[in-house]
Amino acid sequence: MFFHIVLERNMQLHPRHFGPNLRDKLVAKLMKDVEGTCSGRHGFVVAITGVDNIGKGLIRDGTGFVTFPVKYQCVVFRPFKGEILEAVVTMVNKMGFFAEAGPVQIFVSNHLIPDDMEFQSGDMPNYTTSDGSVKIQKDSEVRLKIIGTRVDATEIFCIGTIKDDFLGVINDPGAAA
Amino acid sequence: MSGEEDENAAELKIGDEFLKAKCLMNCEVSLILDRRYEQLQQMSDDPTNQVSQVFEKSLQYVKRFSRYKNPDAVRQVREILSRHKLAEFELCVLGNLCPETVEEALAMVPSIKTRGRTHEDEEIDKMLNDLSLIKKFE
Repeated sequence: MFFHIVLERNMQLHPRHFGPNLRDKLVAKLMKDVEGTCSGRHGFVVAITGVDNIGKGLIRDGTGFVTFPVKYQCVVFRPFKGEILEAVVTMVNKMGFFAEAGPVQIFVSNHLIPDDMEFQSGDMPNYTTSDGSVKIQKDSEVRLKIIGTRVDATEIFCIGTIKDDFLGVINDPGAAA
Repeated sequence: MSGEEDENAAELKIGDEFLKAKCLMNCEVSLILDRRYEQLQQMSDDPTNQVSQVFEKSLQYVKRFSRYKNPDAVRQVREILSRHKLAEFELCVLGNLCPETVEEALAMVPSIKTRGRTHEDEEIDKMLNDLSLIKKFE
């Protein structure tokens, strides 16, 4: 889910940037430093939408750098366990398939794909029901439920399932073509 | 696994910080990111160099999965949903997934029926109906 939240960060600025444009410099550096990053707590920072407040700077002993506390608003993407969302399938193999929902990758293991769907190899590997009516392949859109998340320093990775009511393929690119 | 072990969106356990925060539906994010992208375009000729991969992927994603395109419709959806004493998170899940039946809505957002709120089936049904009307007349 996307959220609009207020975050705070201490920004260190080199003294050469001091002057009438200090605020602009600080905001530009903030965008460069923060946008596109990911933390386990807040998720992916997609875009900064505004800067609320820049506090008093504090000169660091010995270096001359100044630290400013900056409060800013941003759009973040944070997946949660138990959340249901839509995603695009990016890769299919016999272990299951990978899907992407915005910046986050979700793996759905073949144990969490309904039992009536069988893996079919070939140049377009896919999972298909025995009657061929439902097919999951690259670029399919699926609705899935996140059942687990793994967080490391720069990425969040999710495990999902489509083995539940109202989950599974939403549209099938092969059928439309 | 994540740090907060008892995290579960189905029971609305998403941490205080996010529970109080403003959630955004995909269509709203699409409006925000689109405007931002236009700003970048004005500043430089090649905005694709300026934006992060996270931004690019998010923009593609929300464009693909936005149920409502026009800003007025987006505002109406939020207004209709906010009449029903939903948590921000529930509101956005419904706005994103647009369930068609009460049963589907409850499967998507099980927390609607808990937390001591009285959401009758008819009320949910009416809410879903109102939503599909906006979609129809967009």
